Amino acid sequence: MKNWSKLTTALVVAAVTGAPAWAADDDRIVVGFATAESGFMQAYDKPAQDAAMIRIGEINAAGGLLGKQIEVVNADTKTDRAEGAKAGLSVIDAGADLVVVSCDYDFGSPAALTAESSGLVSFFLCAESIKAGIQGVGPHSFSASVLAAVQGATMAQWSYEKKEARSYYRLLDTWTEYNKGICDGFDWMLPQLADATLVGEDTFKNEDASIAAQITRIKSLPEEPDAIMLCTMMPGAVSAIKQIRAAGINSMILNGSAVDGSYWLSAVPDLSNFYVPVQGSIYGDDPNGDVTAFNAKYVEATGGDPSTQYVYPGYVLIDVWAKAVERAGTTDADAVVAELEKMVDEPTLFGPRTFNSEIHHQNKARYLIVETNAGTPAVVDEWTISEPIPVDALMK
Amino acid sequence: MTAILQTVFDALSLGSLYALGALGIALIFGVMRLVNFAHGDVIAFSIFALLWPSTDVVAAVVAGNLPWFLLIPFVLAMGAGLSVLAEIVVFRRFRNASPATMMIASFALGFVIRYFLLMLFSSRPKSISLLPALSQPVEVLGARIPLLQLITILTTIAILFGLTAFLKRSRFGLEMRAAAENFTMARVLGVRANRVIMGAFALSGALAAAIALILGSQTGTADIQMGTNVMLMAFIATVIGGLGSLPGAVIAGFLLGAASVAMQVSLSIDARPFRDAFVYGAVILVLIFRPQGLLAGRGTKERV
Repeated sequence: MKNWSKLTTALVVAAVTGAPAWAADDDRIVVGFATAESGFMQAYDKPAQDAAMIRIGEINAAGGLLGKQIEVVNADTKTDRAEGAKAGLSVIDAGADLVVVSCDYDFGSPAALTAESSGLVSFFLCAESIKAGIQGVGPHSFSASVLAAVQGATMAQWSYEKKEARSYYRLLDTWTEYNKGICDGFDWMLPQLADATLVGEDTFKNEDASIAAQITRIKSLPEEPDAIMLCTMMPGAVSAIKQIRAAGINSMILNGSAVDGSYWLSAVPDLSNFYVPVQGSIYGDDPNGDVTAFNAKYVEATGGDPSTQYVYPGYVLIDVWAKAVERAGTTDADAVVAELEKMVDEPTLFGPRTFNSEIHHQNKARYLIVETNAGTPAVVDEWTISEPIPVDALMK
Repeated sequence: MTAILQTVFDALSLGSLYALGALGIALIFGVMRLVNFAHGDVIAFSIFALLWPSTDVVAAVVAGNLPWFLLIPFVLAMGAGLSVLAEIVVFRRFRNASPATMMIASFALGFVIRYFLLMLFSSRPKSISLLPALSQPVEVLGARIPLLQLITILTTIAILFGLTAFLKRSRFGLEMRAAAENFTMARVLGVRANRVIMGAFALSGALAAAIALILGSQTGTADIQMGTNVMLMAFIATVIGGLGSLPGAVIAGFLLGAASVAMQVSLSIDARPFRDAFVYGAVILVLIFRPQGLLAGRGTKERV
């Protein structure tokens, strides 16, 4: 009954002031997850959300945020854009101070836009498009991951400096903005590398049953390129990699983070000379021992190992948001955004994070480089691109 | 020269996939005027039958570990079995329905199969090492091509010859051809309709499973949507081949594969992302000049 009277009061307040009732209620700090609990996106949202829950658990165990325990509310977007907007409204109605939305820009933006129009902070679980933030949603929206373009730029510069690659081949899967983002970053970096040349380029589609024609084009080059920049994601990535190796092409293959994980390696037995940038290592060999400790916590919480590095941004988002709330002394959206925008190389478990009033995403980040050799992935290096990718290069 | 040869192999192997798909659709259309849009989901099902149901990221391969001489019949049986089951449970009830109603029913069935797989396996694509011995290059007339490509082309040709012989020489084949040409008349003359239709579904399902095997070993991936693209291309092939005509479907399948590879090879880099638009453009042109398809099936002609 107590809750009912509280609800009634809140509704009256809302009716009188026109403000979201529970958001004004300062007794609670609520994180709302408007994410996919069913359908296609569930497999991608759930792991990052589990990591976010681990960070919330840690904060609560350490005494909470601003002396209050963080509460969590959930709403299922059912992997549907219209349902996404409804799920956003539902968690806002339940008093969310922070709205966490689906990993992907297209699926997360309806809930993020709902949060934006209510003046609340929203965080994409792991979107890697520049649109997941100020540019595509509004000034209160952030993404916890790193831009796809940084991944392409990182692999180009690292392979040039550390593996002495000089001739590059660019193979783009035109399916998603994410894929184009990787190749955009690669395109931005390549001209800055003295005597590195693009010896050829081609496109394919993720769903293509065969990329034999694309492979024939690579094989007709006078010399095998030093490196193939492969801008693609699952499931087409496995198919492309398998077909490239089955055709006897042994060039170094550079990728974005979307192909991280050992779960698919059985499809290409004994894969070698294969490189992926990751924010943290799921293979138990992260140079930061705390990451390995986190992996153990994740196993405890979910019963399984993290399957890819896309678990980690969920942890980062609660971490940076809670720090901003602590510094602002309130969950008020504008004050929290102002604190987030002051962060420059803010240390997190998965590398430093920077936000400013121009970009709520990472256009430069430290990446670990994972090499797969004879079918076994392991961290071999780390790399931070020499300068951040300018916003206009990201917006093209 | 080797580059041209390589491209020819590329076109033939892609065309083989489309031809096998088109054949599976044309067989069923022939006997009961049903455009089976669930065909793509039968392809996906056949591969998932090799895995143990689990929503874990790593695939729990069970039947997929069988030696090849057991694995191939197992997958073919799975495809054929599901297809026959679909006939008994669903399509038999639509025998006298209009083709449009049957088409909608096939769409619905496709969704049921897909969501069944989604429920059991989640949306994450699963990786599977299927017939890994085929993932190595071989030398043919100076061109280095993946062994799988060669096997795909040879298998398709073998299936086509086998099927032709079966349809021309066996009693069952004769009944099937008779039913395709004039179902009512064939029935009146003593062709057992249920047997013929079930046979067509079994063959079509086995063809879907053959595609699944090729796609599975080529891509190393089991994905609940893996059949969609091939199904669409195969359907287009049956239309330009002339609905109901089996040789037409096969020829059109190979033509589509060749057109797709030719576009990929010849278009400039900026136009290449729109390759399929050019392919579909060519399809429209063919249909403008031959609306009945390249080889119109005799059974589909307007009856006066």
